[in-house]
Amino acid sequence: MSIGILVLAVLILAAAGFVLGRQRALATAGGDPRRLHSLPGHYGQFTAILAAVPALVLLAIWLLAQPLAIESRIAPMLTADSPADRSLAMADVRRISIGLDLLAVSDRLSEDAVASLSSETLAPRLRQVGTAVTQVTPEALSAAKAHRTMRHTLQIWMTAAVGLTAATCFVFALLRIRPDFRARNVSERFVMWLLIAASLVAVATTAGIVLSLVSETLHFFRIYPAREFFLSLTWNPQFRGGSDLGIWPLLWGTVYISIIALIVAVPIGLLTAVYLSEYASRRTRGWAKPAIEILAGIPTIVYGLFALITVGPALRDWFAQPLGLGASSSSVMTAGLVMGIMLIPFVSSLSDDIINAVPQSLRDGSYGLGATQSETVKLVILPAALPGIVGAVLLAASRAIGETMIVVLGAGAAAKLSLNPFEAMTTVTVKIVSQLTGDTEFASPETLVAFALGLTLFVMTLVLNVLALYIVRKYREQYE
Amino acid sequence: MDDIRFAERDLCVTEAKIAARDVQVHYGTNHALKDVNVDILEQTVTAFIGPSGCGKSTFLRCLNRMNDTIPGCRIEGRLTLDGQDIYDPRVDPVQLRAKVGMVFQKPNPFPKSIYDNVAYGPRIHGLTRNKAELDEIVEKSLRRAALWEEAKDRLASPGTGLSGGQQQRLCIARAIATSPEVLLMDEPCSALDPIATAQIEELIDELRAQFSVVIVTHSMQQAARVSQRTAFFHLGRLVEYGETGQIFTNPHDPRTESYISGRIG
Repeated sequence: MSIGILVLAVLILAAAGFVLGRQRALATAGGDPRRLHSLPGHYGQFTAILAAVPALVLLAIWLLAQPLAIESRIAPMLTADSPADRSLAMADVRRISIGLDLLAVSDRLSEDAVASLSSETLAPRLRQVGTAVTQVTPEALSAAKAHRTMRHTLQIWMTAAVGLTAATCFVFALLRIRPDFRARNVSERFVMWLLIAASLVAVATTAGIVLSLVSETLHFFRIYPAREFFLSLTWNPQFRGGSDLGIWPLLWGTVYISIIALIVAVPIGLLTAVYLSEYASRRTRGWAKPAIEILAGIPTIVYGLFALITVGPALRDWFAQPLGLGASSSSVMTAGLVMGIMLIPFVSSLSDDIINAVPQSLRDGSYGLGATQSETVKLVILPAALPGIVGAVLLAASRAIGETMIVVLGAGAAAKLSLNPFEAMTTVTVKIVSQLTGDTEFASPETLVAFALGLTLFVMTLVLNVLALYIVRKYREQYE
Repeated sequence: MDDIRFAERDLCVTEAKIAARDVQVHYGTNHALKDVNVDILEQTVTAFIGPSGCGKSTFLRCLNRMNDTIPGCRIEGRLTLDGQDIYDPRVDPVQLRAKVGMVFQKPNPFPKSIYDNVAYGPRIHGLTRNKAELDEIVEKSLRRAALWEEAKDRLASPGTGLSGGQQQRLCIARAIATSPEVLLMDEPCSALDPIATAQIEELIDELRAQFSVVIVTHSMQQAARVSQRTAFFHLGRLVEYGETGQIFTNPHDPRTESYISGRIG
């Protein structure tokens, strides 16, 4: 039985459980739902949960464990020199094993016929049924045959185990139903675990990302000195090895571009937010706020094109060349300006919400003392909203640090340490992309440096976020 | 009504500080206040009483043009402060509000230090030339709001950290620091416990020496205790206005009588 049908069967059993559980609960109460501890539906839910959840959990665990179990049995049949070779050979075995299944179906082969297939003529036939194999060695074929048999046996066992679990739990649940049984508590508890599981997905993914970054970074530092990485001022990767992989030029580019972006975005965004929340009439606000938020919906690659085609050449022709500061249309200034425009809606939208959260009573108090509108904004509203605004700015800063597309198209790809804002520079993110997509071997420092850069970036944004949280907590004003 | 202790009523003053003639207020299509005529006297506490939604807070907010901040609010009729039309286009609402201070129903100290809360008005109006003068105003205002003894050692701590009654006294100190001529109070004690209420009522009586005080209240006992004049509003109309003792003991209008004896409201 295939896995899809198995899952479907379990779900049908659960649906039946809902109906039966509900009916049984009503029957035990003599048809009077008031004599039941919980609503009849809760008993139905209880039966359905018990029928489906343990069986599906078992299925999930089985599916995770089965390949590991099979491969640990197959591994001794393969001769391989290194772990990398072994995993390549194992991948071949898996492909052939699946291919044999397809072949058995398309050519209507019996089990004996499959078992007696020889390796010489097999490769073209396998390619015909859509399996990507170049050649089939006798060793791989016999391993694949073993793989396939084991797979089939285990699949039958799995179907039996899952079906049995579902049926047992289903019957057990039905037997448990009595008027004083607290089915509602079980179903509420289940909802809680469901919510916990959903939140765990995000947490576990974060942990997984960090762990994979850390392990690759450690790998990188084993083949490239950490001292060089953190202290060298040159970034000069060579394809043949002997590269200088100092992080400072990239870090400087990131920080420089982000600062320019924030210098553009924070004042404009903040003033926009003050206008929208304090001065604009409801009608103006009704169309202006969505219009500004459209900016946030533009893909960054489009901003990148804007930087490349419009802003870059304009800056070069009107500022850089007349001032004698450079002749390149890709520059820190270009990327910073365009990124700043991208960040305006972040700052303005978040700050606007925060300013709106300042209670009206504070405004009334200030106006009641004869303060003007700008005095009220400056002396009462902005100080009260400050922690939130700082949070918004730091959020925008982490966006700026992580931005890639605008930098590639606006600032170029040259890693340089320079103060001239009209010079091409690049950032950490751009170099992560170019190092990982290069032609170098994966295990070389030139590629692995991407992970060290990624981790550095992650730590930077993490520190910014923690700082934002700290500031917001510490200086949060209690309005009442 | 024997349990009500009436405030001393030495009504030597008869000059009108604020005069209202045929005032109408509309919120959009809602005619909230109809034909209000009233003279608010100098150095007098005037209480506005009436059931919820009768327009007494609306009228209070007309007196310092706080209704300007509400979209869709329209005011007709004539309102004068010392003979000068409040709604004259030449009158700057900002300057008007410096002369007509306001204390709100819920204590609303700014999220700043106690000192900065009180110094807020004098600072924005440039009332002082140096720090020493400002210190003096702050101390004087806090003393008059009966908060100085409790607050003098913690002037730098946030005003929001005070208790509810202290916060309301801080708001009163903040309002009187700009030396207004009229002080409007919109149910200043509704969020306070009886002890804090008693302190504020005592304070209102003292403030009468310098200001004309207008207080909106839901407590008829409070109106009787602190005010010399009482105005009764009902359904957007000023039903009766007169000397407090007369309103509570011998009302002319049957609606006033029903309200103060608890039959309508």
